[in-house]
Amino acid sequence: MSERQIAVAKKLRVGFYGITGCAGCLESVIFNEDEIVGIFNLVDVQAFPFIKGANSHEDLDVAFMEGLVASPRDLETLKEVRKNARVLVALGTCANTGCIPAYRHYTPLENYEHLIKEKEDDIKDVPPSPIDTHVPVDFAIPGCPPNGKEILEVIKAVAAGKTPRPYTAPVCIECRRKGNYCLLELGKPCLGPITRGGCGAVCPSGGFECWGCRGQTEDANLPAFIELLEQKGFSWDFIKRRLRTFVGQKTPDLEPLRRALEVEKV
Amino acid sequence: MSTQIDLEELTKIEGHATLRLRVDDGRVEHLEIRSLEGSRYFEGILRGRLYSEASEIATRICGICSCAHCLAAHQAIENALGIVPSAQTHELRRLLNLGESIRSHAAHLYFLALPDYLGVPSTLSIALEQRGAVERAIQLMKLGNDMVRLLAGRDIHPVSVTVGGHLKIPTQEQLTGIRERLEQLRPAAVATAELFNSLPYPELHVKLERFSLYSDSEYALIAGSIRSDEHEFEQRDYGKFVSEYHSPEQTANFVVREGHAYMVGALSRLANSKELLSSDAAALLRAGPVPQGLDNPFLINPAQAIELVQNFDDALAILSNLRPEPEPPPEIWVQAGHGIAAVEAPRGVLWHEYELDDTGHILHANIITPTAQNLRAMEESLAALLPEVVHEGKEAVVAAAEKLIRAYDPCLSCAVHFLNVEWL
Repeated sequence: MSERQIAVAKKLRVGFYGITGCAGCLESVIFNEDEIVGIFNLVDVQAFPFIKGANSHEDLDVAFMEGLVASPRDLETLKEVRKNARVLVALGTCANTGCIPAYRHYTPLENYEHLIKEKEDDIKDVPPSPIDTHVPVDFAIPGCPPNGKEILEVIKAVAAGKTPRPYTAPVCIECRRKGNYCLLELGKPCLGPITRGGCGAVCPSGGFECWGCRGQTEDANLPAFIELLEQKGFSWDFIKRRLRTFVGQKTPDLEPLRRALEVEKV
Repeated sequence: MSTQIDLEELTKIEGHATLRLRVDDGRVEHLEIRSLEGSRYFEGILRGRLYSEASEIATRICGICSCAHCLAAHQAIENALGIVPSAQTHELRRLLNLGESIRSHAAHLYFLALPDYLGVPSTLSIALEQRGAVERAIQLMKLGNDMVRLLAGRDIHPVSVTVGGHLKIPTQEQLTGIRERLEQLRPAAVATAELFNSLPYPELHVKLERFSLYSDSEYALIAGSIRSDEHEFEQRDYGKFVSEYHSPEQTANFVVREGHAYMVGALSRLANSKELLSSDAAALLRAGPVPQGLDNPFLINPAQAIELVQNFDDALAILSNLRPEPEPPPEIWVQAGHGIAAVEAPRGVLWHEYELDDTGHILHANIITPTAQNLRAMEESLAALLPEVVHEGKEAVVAAAEKLIRAYDPCLSCAVHFLNVEWL
């Protein structure tokens, strides 16, 4: 066996980590019920503190990171994992955009002042932020929660020495393929047309409009979409809140888009 | 001699926490569980959003018990708007809650708690040697997940539940499929209860009032009053039930009456609702250590395992009667209101409270999770346990403490109130 073959045959050293978040992305790894034992055989799971008592954090080939940075401790963990991992994968919407916790940036301070019992200065807080604000990220798996099968595909691709390909088509493609009713046509504020798919259109298939948790497609025509929602009777405030809920700081600056629309109308 | 032990970080729990201990001359002088989670301020984020958006936001508090958050949010909003869902909606929601309980208990028992009793770091890492147990765990988890997927549209962060009803009602055929699998896998639930009845639990006695939902018509999970051996409250009297205080020496505390810790979760539910158990679950309860050890928090684990059988029997009972009819969700009349709801998450009572303005926007939200309520109980239990093991050295202390904390099945991601405190 050549040296190269030996290198390929060696099992990948993989770590699954979480910082501030809801643990849903790590659950999505485990909820691959039929494959989870196989994953533990395919790769060498060095760290998974959520379900494993003894965890090594050194010399990782791939690290999956769930959650967003919201405390100094998060930042410390993130930097430590980044330092030790060849490939860092941002797992889920919190890691990618800050998700709902980062919506705080769009919430007036008086909304949560009452939650801060002591002086704000005493709370060692870091403004809620996606992980690529702080360290370079090599691959992103979006979704709140991410699609479990997509996580598997990424693990398998990396184990085979391939670069996984991100899904780029909008949710509508998969939704139509499933034969669902169009929720937009039914008057629901569905973000499917501007949202990156790969989730199997799971929300519209469950009767619920897409909230855009996988982020916007590269070619999303936001002004046209905003106009469409306004025509359907949704207020600008509602639209703004909805567009920002999951994509937070990664949403394009909405005010200029809206002003451009106003100018067009005049 | 003074020893400081920082158990950093606790593994095999949901979320991130550390335990700090100071031991002087064989006495535990200081003991504190600290969350390592960053602040997320969900209740602040919910302000200003529409009533119909509450669940989609609040479920992100916790992926582990997102169905409980979804149900509590919807029921509190319905309560605020004066909506009473249909009997069919109640049954579908109960089934959803049972699915979440089955997957959560299976995952907690086998992947988080069992390694402590087998003396291994992870159930999955011993997959090959313990094939039977691992397969049982995965099958149970999968069935619970499939119930959630069917009733909620997705396994984590449900989407098909809506204010007043369901956006997608499962077909008879789909429900029959679930019923057949429940029947098929029921022996695995019974085997789990037998396994957890037989494990050697440390002796421990902690006097704690045990609270749970209670209903005299069913093993209460999503409706009922709040009850213990000594007290009973209506959900609307929540303000009298939950009082919260912070002290500089501690993280957040939730107490019935100031200064008294209380316990929520499987052991509390069993203690309060034992008369409502199915005959097999009742027999398994009698055959194990729980009835003689209701004051021993380690027995939360066998209590969860007995509940697993109860969950199967409840789900089977629902499915033997349920004939789903098409039922579009009701028209909503938006109005100002104030709503409170309590739901049993797998690890105990979860409270949601919303105040709405006359346009249906949320003016105020308050969410109290089971772990936040159990934190003081966890600390008091550790204070009772550790003097017994402290002479055995640091490693024994750490092992015993972790095992006890894990028995409580804490979920520190969702202990939202745990987060808005001044750290030591």
